[in-house]
Amino acid sequence: MMRIRSSEIVPRLFITILILIVLEVISSAFLPLFGINKYMIPFNVLIVLFLGFKLENPYLALMIVAVQYCHSLFTIEGWEIGTIAGVTICIVISYLRDVLHFTSSVVTIMVTQLFQILWFVIVSSLLYLKLGSFDYIVEKFWRFLPESIVLSLMAPFFFSVLDKVWGVHNEGLMGDNT
Amino acid sequence: MKVALNEGSRLKIIINVLVISMALYGVSKRDVNVKETTIFENFMLDTLAPLQRGVTFVHHQVISFFDHYVTNVNASKENIALKSSVGDLKQHIFSLEQVEAENKRLKKLLQFGEDLQRKKILAQVVAWDSSSDFRVLRINKGHSDGIKLQSTVVTANGVVGYIYRLTDNFADILTILDPNNRVDVLINRTRSNGILEGYSGWRCMMKYVTRTDPVRLNDLVITSGLGNIYPKGLKVGNVSKVERESYGITQNIEVAPTVDFSKLEEVVVLVAEGNQRKKLEWQALDGGQAK
Repeated sequence: MMRIRSSEIVPRLFITILILIVLEVISSAFLPLFGINKYMIPFNVLIVLFLGFKLENPYLALMIVAVQYCHSLFTIEGWEIGTIAGVTICIVISYLRDVLHFTSSVVTIMVTQLFQILWFVIVSSLLYLKLGSFDYIVEKFWRFLPESIVLSLMAPFFFSVLDKVWGVHNEGLMGDNT
Repeated sequence: MKVALNEGSRLKIIINVLVISMALYGVSKRDVNVKETTIFENFMLDTLAPLQRGVTFVHHQVISFFDHYVTNVNASKENIALKSSVGDLKQHIFSLEQVEAENKRLKKLLQFGEDLQRKKILAQVVAWDSSSDFRVLRINKGHSDGIKLQSTVVTANGVVGYIYRLTDNFADILTILDPNNRVDVLINRTRSNGILEGYSGWRCMMKYVTRTDPVRLNDLVITSGLGNIYPKGLKVGNVSKVERESYGITQNIEVAPTVDFSKLEEVVVLVAEGNQRKKLEWQALDGGQAK
């Protein structure tokens, strides 16, 4: 495992957020030009999952807040629900870390899809509490399916880019613990 | 080393608990009607929204470039000259047609609601919400153009939504397709009152209409003027499905909006001055009593 100083987190997180902003602009302004309004690719989910999978750091929750806050500039969703889902998933990942290995693209795709389902369950539960409508959750599920599959397929490439940004070696974890 | 590890885990647990608590508090306190922006959010939105507008602009330029130049690369010199001039003329005609079409659309928009006692501001749609869970549009006009929070947004075809978030130069519209948006509406023919909410896809659901009300397919749905946001009598949609169960006191009415949200380019923001909005609601209530 690699050791990372807290001072290294800020510039790397800044680059990650810049990547997120570019992807959000593409998702919100470019795709609708081709008539793709119904489906939006939630790149913030992929970034939060990457942070959870590859980083072992006490400040992970704060990094998730930063990512979600930037995401909220492009959506009225707000930063809160995604943060709750992200932090909860990172806690789950921390317990499963020993069995999670990104040895191949297929495994990465499957693991990403699995945790996206967990993300969907958490977010849907919170939305259900807020809206009280199950129909909305069902409709959200049908949108979630293609969106999450596209996101999972992109995960191996996306993670390799973020690996370079965060200086994570294959199979490695970045953390304070050495 | 063990002590350090424990301290690290303890710090992590504390941060996790704090962040989740803050987020849960934020979710519970979140206002679904309007979102006031902070100075930082204002700055960030005003910085990022032009990027979205820029992408739209670049897309149009690239399409135009590919349409009018790249396809001519392999033609002969004469052909190039001829095609170029024809292309230029076509481009010119196309631009004029676009201007004509835009003029028609804008005239129609401006003529629409001439009797509405509100200031009208034309705006262009620059982006959609980046989450597919929400049906929100971003327009290129903001506070500096006179737009206010909760101003009604319409087109010549009907209601689009209302201003949910506002910065100096941009504004976000919570459309009637969003489940967080609730509009007090009437069936025009029967005057049955109900609440319209965003539903799946591009449809809305009208709730709380008594089961005995004889609502039919294609009945026009209009705003009732109650609720302090939408003026009375604006077209909202047509009834596309009616479900009456053998039990219960209400019926399920699905409404197809009159506005085609997939082809929305320009919108009109209706801004009420001062207490005018409240006054208009009183007028709507008086009108209801008169009937």
